[in-house]
Amino acid sequence: MTKAKWIKMCAAIIIAAVVFCLPYEAFGVSVNPVERRVIFIFALAAFFWILEPFPIWTTSMLVIVLMLLTVSDHSLLLFRSSADGETFSNLIPYQSVMATFADPIIMLFLGGFFLAASATKYRLDMNLARVLLKPFGKNPKWILLGLMAITAIFSMFMSNTATTAMMLAILAPVLSVFDANDKGRAAFALSIPVAANIGGMGTPIGTPPNAIALKALGTAGANVSFGEWMAFGVPYVLVLILLSWFVLLKIFPITKKEMELSVGDKFLRTPKAIIVYITFAVTVVLWVAGEGVHGLDSNTVAMIPMAVFALAQIITKDDLKKMSWDVLWLVAGGFALGLGLSKTGLASHIIGAIPFASWNPVVLMVGGGVICLVMANFMSHTATASLLLPLFAAVAVSVGSHLDVLGGVTALLVSVAFASSLGMCLPISTPPNALAHATGFVDTKGMAKVGILVSMMGMILAYVMMYFLAVIHFFD
Amino acid sequence: METINVICVDDQKDVLDAVLRDLRPLEDFFRLEPAESAAECRELMDEIDERGESVGLVISDHVMPGELGVSLLGWISATPRFSKTKKILLTGQANQADTIRAINEAHIDSYFEKPWKGEELLGTVKKLLTAYILEKGIAYEEFMPVLDQAELLTFLTRNGFDT
Repeated sequence: MTKAKWIKMCAAIIIAAVVFCLPYEAFGVSVNPVERRVIFIFALAAFFWILEPFPIWTTSMLVIVLMLLTVSDHSLLLFRSSADGETFSNLIPYQSVMATFADPIIMLFLGGFFLAASATKYRLDMNLARVLLKPFGKNPKWILLGLMAITAIFSMFMSNTATTAMMLAILAPVLSVFDANDKGRAAFALSIPVAANIGGMGTPIGTPPNAIALKALGTAGANVSFGEWMAFGVPYVLVLILLSWFVLLKIFPITKKEMELSVGDKFLRTPKAIIVYITFAVTVVLWVAGEGVHGLDSNTVAMIPMAVFALAQIITKDDLKKMSWDVLWLVAGGFALGLGLSKTGLASHIIGAIPFASWNPVVLMVGGGVICLVMANFMSHTATASLLLPLFAAVAVSVGSHLDVLGGVTALLVSVAFASSLGMCLPISTPPNALAHATGFVDTKGMAKVGILVSMMGMILAYVMMYFLAVIHFFD
Repeated sequence: METINVICVDDQKDVLDAVLRDLRPLEDFFRLEPAESAAECRELMDEIDERGESVGLVISDHVMPGELGVSLLGWISATPRFSKTKKILLTGQANQADTIRAINEAHIDSYFEKPWKGEELLGTVKKLLTAYILEKGIAYEEFMPVLDQAELLTFLTRNGFDT
């Protein structure tokens, strides 16, 4: 561990200890010792995630273990009862803390990993990209739009980072023969991460913050199905992609008149490849059709490709080991934090002490989105969502019908989740941004300009859409 | 940031200096270590290993007093501690038998003939070190400015995840 990381770690622990010791009673909030420990864990996680003395998924693991040791019903003996020997009533069953790692939404994501890994392994992604790019011809302007659309569609099912890596690998050889003065190089290099970040919002499995949002929605009693999410997510993505395309063309006009990309080769026709195509299609259809049609919950549907691919040896033991288990831990830690806040009663006690119901609902919605957007630019999107969404879920419950004119709890939580995906102003904001920046075709200033514009448009669009959905009673 | 060492082995001081000069752009990210003989290289590698650091790459000449380069590289690839270490043979005097041994027994990753082109060597070194970092599962983000783009993108297409 380097010196800088030691300092960061100590700083985070000290801040968390200070937060732990604050006189909450003086602010009119009564917290019992169990809740106080949750406050400590929350503050520690927040500052570990912000300062990053450790990789962020390890902080998630720490959250789960600390919760088991200090606030679960099987915690250390000295933590279970108060000074006068009375057992605390708000300890969390230890099974529920552990179960965050086997949460149905974790299974949904794991199913998504299986689909993405098999699509890449059997080159379905590259070959689809070739077919989908064809209609966009040779005019760079249209190719730019085509690339953005394809990137967005892929990142709805693959990780934004993997999609970006794939598309940049296709683009890099072409961009290096562009004229060095052609601003279009920056447009192309930026279009990929922007489209990938946007595309991630299209489906529940597009990006980890959506998982946190689904969980928070469930806690607040507002379940959103896979199909429902796509019903507003996909149109949102399409509109935002179009707007971003305009922005990119305006800021970085392309001078090159003609270009051609060489992508992929032939679709594989082996039995295994065909199983991949069919399973992929069937899974997506089942997801979109929804529980009402076939009775299967979307999390259950996600497990079908797992069994098929494992049996067909499309996903081997080795592929299984290489999956992003760290992402699942990251998300599970977020769930555990949410569990701690809701199950100990801490969230409702704190939120209850602030009269949110008397606030203007517009201030609440926009304020939440802005805080989230700012944080997401400087730290992990998933960590941002993990810290904010459980709190906003409690806010939404406490203000009740007050928010209904703007779309209620769903509108609040989805717009905050979208805000966390829209943090893309800096190379450090997301891994896709870092990759695009590393190509050398785009500088930080250009990225910031586009990032700010796109995220502003994205926030406004999200609010307009939520208002519209509220008007047509979509969530009722 | 994890300390990754790059060792250059050559008995001629001027060659050693020339190689190190070519690799100077990597200085801020890797520790460049010269060694004037195979024995010195082995000793250095043991020390590095004891410090808990890693040896990402060894660039070795072949004809040197004492142990030959191909034999040194063969020892590296047969030693489990250094099984992932990348190896470049940089020589003007290897005969066919040596070259065959270099490939079959020492499993070298690249072969450079003297005189070499600095830029080409730097490119290959970047590529091999990128592969080393990704294979070892070392956090690649901190090395981003010097990594080989194509290598990184190919890896992340399969293994990239969102945070």
